[in-house]
Amino acid sequence: MERNEFYERLFQRAKEAGFSACEVYYAAGESFSVTVFGGEITDYSASEACGLGFRGLVDGKMGYASTQALDEDSIALLVEGARENARLIECEDEQFLFAGAEKYADVQNYCPDIDETTGAEKIKLCKSLETMAVAMDARLRREAEACVFSESSAVEIVNTLGLRVERRSNIIGGYVQPVAEEGGRVSSGFSLFFENDPAKIDAEKAAREAVKEAVDGLAAKSVPSGSYRVLLKNDVAAQMLRTFSGVFSADRAQKGLSLLKGREGEKIAADCLTIADEPHLPGRAASTPFDGEGVPTYRKEVVSGGVLRTLLHNLKTAKKQGVETTANACRGGYGSPVGVAPSNFCVQPSNLAFEDMLDLLGDGLLITDLQGWHAGADVVSGDFSLPARGYRVENGKIAGSVNQITLAGNFFALLKSVEAVGGDVKFSAPGASAFASPSLLIPALSVAGK
Amino acid sequence: MLSRLIAEQALAAALKTGGDFAEIFYEDTRSSSLTLNAGAIETALTGRSAGAGVRVYKGLSSVYVFTNDVSLSGLVRAAQKAADAIGSADRTVDVRLTGAIPRNIHAIAQLPMDVPGARRARVVKAADAAARAVSAEVSQVTARLYDWETDVVIANSEGLLAPDRRVYTRLALTAVASAGGESQTGSCNPGAMMGFELFDGRVDPEEVGRRAAKQAVTMLHAEPCPAGVMCAVIDKGFGGVIFHEACGHSLEATAVAFGNSEFAGKLGQQIASPIVTAIDDGTMENEWGSINIDDEGTPATRLVLIENGVLKNYMVDRLNGRRMAMAVTGSARRQDYTCAPTSRMRNTFIAPGNDDEGEIISSMGDGLYAKAMGGGSVNPITGEFNFAVSEGYLVKGGRIDRPVRGATLIGKGADILKKIDRVGKTLELGQGMCSSVSGSIPVNVGQPMIRVTDITVGGR
Repeated sequence: MERNEFYERLFQRAKEAGFSACEVYYAAGESFSVTVFGGEITDYSASEACGLGFRGLVDGKMGYASTQALDEDSIALLVEGARENARLIECEDEQFLFAGAEKYADVQNYCPDIDETTGAEKIKLCKSLETMAVAMDARLRREAEACVFSESSAVEIVNTLGLRVERRSNIIGGYVQPVAEEGGRVSSGFSLFFENDPAKIDAEKAAREAVKEAVDGLAAKSVPSGSYRVLLKNDVAAQMLRTFSGVFSADRAQKGLSLLKGREGEKIAADCLTIADEPHLPGRAASTPFDGEGVPTYRKEVVSGGVLRTLLHNLKTAKKQGVETTANACRGGYGSPVGVAPSNFCVQPSNLAFEDMLDLLGDGLLITDLQGWHAGADVVSGDFSLPARGYRVENGKIAGSVNQITLAGNFFALLKSVEAVGGDVKFSAPGASAFASPSLLIPALSVAGK
Repeated sequence: MLSRLIAEQALAAALKTGGDFAEIFYEDTRSSSLTLNAGAIETALTGRSAGAGVRVYKGLSSVYVFTNDVSLSGLVRAAQKAADAIGSADRTVDVRLTGAIPRNIHAIAQLPMDVPGARRARVVKAADAAARAVSAEVSQVTARLYDWETDVVIANSEGLLAPDRRVYTRLALTAVASAGGESQTGSCNPGAMMGFELFDGRVDPEEVGRRAAKQAVTMLHAEPCPAGVMCAVIDKGFGGVIFHEACGHSLEATAVAFGNSEFAGKLGQQIASPIVTAIDDGTMENEWGSINIDDEGTPATRLVLIENGVLKNYMVDRLNGRRMAMAVTGSARRQDYTCAPTSRMRNTFIAPGNDDEGEIISSMGDGLYAKAMGGGSVNPITGEFNFAVSEGYLVKGGRIDRPVRGATLIGKGADILKKIDRVGKTLELGQGMCSSVSGSIPVNVGQPMIRVTDITVGGR
């Protein structure tokens, strides 16, 4: 069945079933990836898939149901399923569908050159990534896993109140994972890259970074346990922001799951810290003209000079708190309910170069890798305790590599204690939300070592 | 469902260009979830996903294409796409499939989809009420009941046509305790490869609520864990995540076949303390990580990984089996049709030993007693692992002294396995979702209480 015809018949059936208003969220994607090891293609995958989420208001409650098949049977399943689900809802929060706006920003994050890059070109890039990396140092194994991927996605939201919006985006990227070996010691490196334009890919840079991590790790040692001055490298800082971004959600705050509840207008971070939600950045997969409810998006500072200006809202949480939505409604997928999430959530940079930050650090640790986020970080308490890799820094100079240590602290305390913000912004891996940060200087974090 | 004729045509199309093996994995999944928050049902979701993945091998090369157009033309198109990527020959292949009888070693009594919403709601409400009754400090409870039933058909060019049904039900509860501007969480997430009969005696929703709430309240009054190297006792049940991370992933062919494992080439060697025997078992009745057949159609097995400290077996899937010249072990798993399968864990545990739990703690001197664990992760190449302690206690002179929060344990798998000096008598399993190359899948981890002579404890 053609998509618009499906929508029409679905909406008609829903109306007959007692829905006062309803909406479809349609998501379609194509993805490609190729993995090479020792010059051989070990994995090659290509796919296309789509799905549709239906939701609608019946007796003031929002019912949801989803499907991957757009056929006659699905219409009945969606309507009956959503109505049955709505009946189970007890939560009294007022629910909304959005009627659409006149104007949406023009966001450029679709690059035709990505879709025109052939499988053969991507295989060639992938093989060269491996070849380049393993030739960079004699201590590397001659085989290293390398991968190149591309993804293209489209979203459409249509409802019975008049909303009809769509967007598409695509991305190309890859990673390489070289392994260094010397005197029985094994150390691996990893570097992930992604771009919105194939011409911007710098495979050599990615290979160099991964090789440096692998080779430097060979001589890595633990350090004595204690409190250290720490420079969190840009991508580690961005991951930290990603892990704890839920604390800025009004939805979580209203549920008592964020310690920032009711603290708008208060100083929650150091003066040097400003964090903005930037939905219109060109060439970023998470950029979007409208949010998960179809509301036009806009740039906003969530933290300005250390002061919490606002939490992130959707229509429901905003109404509950008597404020306007910040257009941060999100759908985790076509089957997920409306939640709250940032678009591009970015710590604003200073004009300090990375070397300046090392100077400011003086003596301490440069942390280049933290692992185990899903287990070792608690969004509710803000506590984190994570295995770390990095370098010892003495007098602003890198003095030796470090591993087998853990770094522990509390995110809320960390926000307040940031001593300096660098100028070297880096984005985390792409997704529905993206996180960006420059390197951050933290005066004291606990390290467990030898 | 995938018919024999469609499968035969698609497999023939997949082999047309010179592939030497082809497989179709067809899936139709119905899922539902019910979430309670702040004492009221907040979200109810139902969904249906259906699709198929076509895989073609040529020697050690593999191509995977998936689609959710499961019509004959959709599947043949996916098969052609895979064929075009793997070769350029033009030949005619005849594929004949023989239907297999479904193998069902895990009986399902009550399909979750058939259970009325009101009855499902009672489960989360009972859990919520019990959690809130634990203490006035319990400030928030989120309880989620979710289930999914999947019908799959796996067909391959060797003639296999195997249907299978998988049903899973789980209750996941997180409690938050708050006081003085601080919050701590506790959680309990039992599940099984079974239907709604999960709640007929096997899992008591009220007990789930109480366990999570008590943990949150205990941690609220705990001090930060001190950092350093110390002796650690890791309790039975989900504590088995230490073996899962420190060793399990490194025994998957996904890592071993490429030499990307510290245990590659060590079959028959002593890699662990002689008191350690470890097993990966897909046949345990109705367990969270159990299977009837794996996602390549191989029947479930019970596999001894380590026996008295000696490495006996790796977990091997079909493609890596070719690389390693080893037989498959029924360990090929994938999240769904969007992922090509690879070797993964099922129910993985350290087998019971001979030590008394009381003695294990009383003879340890000073150290950490990790009573409940969160998740962890590992880099199989180097064996460097970590996992989080969600409920821990400091031990002084062999006696439990006081609760501590925020502890993380790190180490290298090969080192830690040799430092296990006690294994208790009582095995318990714990449920988790394991994320790796082929997506997120249900697995059990498990062990009796164990002791590690010294390990780095991250805290502050």
